[in-house]
Amino acid sequence: MAETKDNNINTNGYKKYYDVLEIKTDASFQEIKNAYWHLKKLYSSEAPVLIPVLDEISEEDRLEILNRIEDAYTHLKEYYKVEEKEKAASTRQWAVTHNVPEFAVYDGNALKVTREVLCVDLKEIALFTGVPLGHLKNIESERLDLLPPQGYVKVFLRKYAEYLALDPQKVTADYMALFDRQKKK
Amino acid sequence: MNFDEKTGSKAEIWAIGGGKGGTGKTFLVSRLAITLAAQNKRVIVVDTDFGGANIHSFFGIKQAPKTINNFFEKKEPLENLLMETGIENLQVIVGDYRSINSGSLNVAMKSRLFRHIGNLSADYILLDLGGGTGNDTIDALLLADRMIVVAVPEITSVENLYQFIKSTFFRKLKHVLGEHGLRDTVKEIWGDRKKYGIKNVAEMLQYIKKTHAAVDAILDRELADIAFYVVLNKVRNSMEIKEGFSIRSICIKHFGVDTRYAGYIEYDIQFWKNLSLIRDLSKMNVSQSLKKDVLCIAENIIRGDQMRMTGIKNG
Repeated sequence: MAETKDNNINTNGYKKYYDVLEIKTDASFQEIKNAYWHLKKLYSSEAPVLIPVLDEISEEDRLEILNRIEDAYTHLKEYYKVEEKEKAASTRQWAVTHNVPEFAVYDGNALKVTREVLCVDLKEIALFTGVPLGHLKNIESERLDLLPPQGYVKVFLRKYAEYLALDPQKVTADYMALFDRQKKK
Repeated sequence: MNFDEKTGSKAEIWAIGGGKGGTGKTFLVSRLAITLAAQNKRVIVVDTDFGGANIHSFFGIKQAPKTINNFFEKKEPLENLLMETGIENLQVIVGDYRSINSGSLNVAMKSRLFRHIGNLSADYILLDLGGGTGNDTIDALLLADRMIVVAVPEITSVENLYQFIKSTFFRKLKHVLGEHGLRDTVKEIWGDRKKYGIKNVAEMLQYIKKTHAAVDAILDRELADIAFYVVLNKVRNSMEIKEGFSIRSICIKHFGVDTRYAGYIEYDIQFWKNLSLIRDLSKMNVSQSLKKDVLCIAENIIRGDQMRMTGIKNG
């Protein structure tokens, strides 16, 4: 299965886009997005790591690199959209093969269990979603009193859910209900 | 992870270098060695940091009856210089830490040393190269199967890392072209790079390939397996972790050199506190997190792999 997909990528010329984004062809869409944003930020700023080579790399070069990055991302986005249905199926398949339990209601504990089954470290989620580690911890332990205003929490939850390939809408709705319940108490 | 992927009797040589001192090269060498030895691999560490040997401190060796100097001065075989470390599967050849005129080895002596190192019987041989971008260091790096460079997320260190990678690539290019009668071509073209509109190493390579069609295929072949493994040490936050991806990107896109981000080691405040108190570094406790970081680096280097922008893949 994976092989045929790889062959497809090679024959239809998508390999070069993965190369531009410096990722492997088995990358998930999340990884593509991470790579895209990282490179875009790097080449459109005066990042410290760029400073030593600034005299060798002209403004023109940088724009060209940025164009290539943008172009690669656009193509890959299209590519993944076409495959979306297939992907949704494979995500479900992925959940089954990794023994990810399904929860009726996604509360802090459910998120934590899912994450641990997938062997994903909280630090990793913080790193790639930009949600501060402390907030992620508080979400899992349901320390609602320590969380920022609900608008923020919604965004955090969506990012967290996406990272674990859970349904972001369901996770957000389930979790935000906790706030209502707490108020009634 | 399968540590048995490596087959054959010849040892795989890993060389650890990096432009600047104090980035943690020797520390990384010692931790990688301990990690590999714990996986039942026979490991030999050779301290080839001729100007600042100190790997012995990391293994708690207070007195070394025989150092690498015996090889040079008394022509003793390297096998005789192996010292036990108290760790199973792990032996070291101590550098000449007492010498007062270190760094005065000639080319012939060094090439003899590296020939002999390759014949040692082990699964992995780790070379601690020491700092600097001298030709000796670079040549030693180029002889290795895996070239590992260490930096800390500070601008000066990153700058040195670029220099180191660039110089090494440059030197390899010179070696390859030298074998085909184009020894001075690189120097000439680089010297006149403004005239040719060349801004960086990648563009120079393209230029040489275009103007010297005869070596085109040779260059492709010879440079194909040049890959640098970057390790970031003393990383304190996620921004600094991501810096590894940035450095990699610049090396790939700008220098045109295959560079892989092997991993990072988190800054461990306890470790640095202990370091200033303890007398025997080999007895120092290291945190689980540090062990995990080094294991990840070792696995990546063995597989020729690197860090990914997401970690879900291991599931």
